[in-house]
Amino acid sequence: MARIPYRHDPMETLTPRGRTVRLGATALGLAVLLAGTLWGVDDHFPFGPFRMYSTSEPPNAPAPDTRVEGVDRTGAVVPLGQDATGIRRAEIEGQQDRYAADPTLLRQVADAYAERHPGAPELVEVRIVIRWYGIRQGRPTGRWSDETTVRWQASR
Amino acid sequence: MTRWLTEAVPRGRVAAFRTLVYLFVAADLVVFTPWVRTRVSVPGELYQPLLVGRLLPLPTPTPALVAVLFWALLVLALLAATGRAHRLLGWSVFALYFQWMIVAMSYGKVDHDRFGLLVALAVLPTAGRARHGDPTRSEAGGWALRVTQIAVVCTYFLAAWAKLRFGGLDWATGSVLARAIIRRGTELADLIAQVPYLLLVAQFGILAFELLTPVVFLLPERWRQATIAFFYSFHLVTIATITISFIPHLVAMTSFLSLERVRPVVWARRLVARRRAAEQTSAAGGEDDGEQPPTPPLAGPAPAVGPATS
Repeated sequence: MARIPYRHDPMETLTPRGRTVRLGATALGLAVLLAGTLWGVDDHFPFGPFRMYSTSEPPNAPAPDTRVEGVDRTGAVVPLGQDATGIRRAEIEGQQDRYAADPTLLRQVADAYAERHPGAPELVEVRIVIRWYGIRQGRPTGRWSDETTVRWQASR
Repeated sequence: MTRWLTEAVPRGRVAAFRTLVYLFVAADLVVFTPWVRTRVSVPGELYQPLLVGRLLPLPTPTPALVAVLFWALLVLALLAATGRAHRLLGWSVFALYFQWMIVAMSYGKVDHDRFGLLVALAVLPTAGRARHGDPTRSEAGGWALRVTQIAVVCTYFLAAWAKLRFGGLDWATGSVLARAIIRRGTELADLIAQVPYLLLVAQFGILAFELLTPVVFLLPERWRQATIAFFYSFHLVTIATITISFIPHLVAMTSFLSLERVRPVVWARRLVARRRAAEQTSAAGGEDDGEQPPTPPLAGPAPAVGPATS
């Protein structure tokens, strides 16, 4: 019998049991992931659907660009992005319904800001603003309009 | 099928993948997703634990908890990168990183860029002992790399599926890319957006690309490498236009590559040895006194330490 003279590296094989367990684990993992894609939601992380950028947007509907901003005691407008509060924009958007139902939750954003900027003038107002950008036939038109969707004001 | 699933790979490849993945975990903590640490200043009321976070009795993150997680994970990941105690360190890093991710994703936004990495972390402890440069082939290591590859391909294929589920066929003719560009586009993206129909063509292209990714498993080795290079180029364009990096996924995707050929430590040693030899030669007045420079063999076994960590 001819043997290949080169490339005869030794091999470490699996036991039949090791093989079966691995096959089972693979099948189970795939089944759960598939179920997550078919019926799951983000809550089922890490087996939820890979739904990044998966929603369908009509070709002429305006696109929202959400931001959070505050007004401090001096009347200055303060951008409250991730650097200012540690809260990511997508997290504000993800919980937007909660904020809309209970605007006092925005106080938490003010607190997060105060935590990171101990010396800064305190915020008397926090608001979620959506800038709607015009889109025509799948392309940005360059026009926009602002809409304040949730507003919290410090009572004093 | 089982043969394919556990197709043996050189242990050296497993060792290199292991080092890369654990070094990435350390880098992820410090460089790529440092915002997870900022959770300490986000009030606990905004914490909305995910299903796993509710099933497991995980506490609401406090500054102390996040700090302990961070430092434990950083130290253990760097130790795991050496390849030593691969089971103990591997399982610990997996458990801690998973908890870290639950903290990260429980504030209203779940990221979808790290399924492959989580699978890699879950299977690496089962891949067996592996030294850098060891040509011995291992089926346990082969399975670990194979399921990571499957997870990577699933991320693409099932993302297309999710687009059809949530967006329907209209996804391809809609304005999803225009939106992404408005929200986080670069100047390059703004230029591209001005070309009529280009974004629409790109949307069809993305859908087709994602649906076709499983074909990578059917290709001969040579073509497979080229296809993986194409996958990477897809992400390069994504980064350059809408600044989405998907870097954990890109790390998991190295499971397709012949990583055992990348030997930074060996290369560095060889370079040092060559330089030293050159110095000796010049010190001896250019005469060869028969002493050979200590050049290491081409594919000799390397120490079990990771590449260029120190």
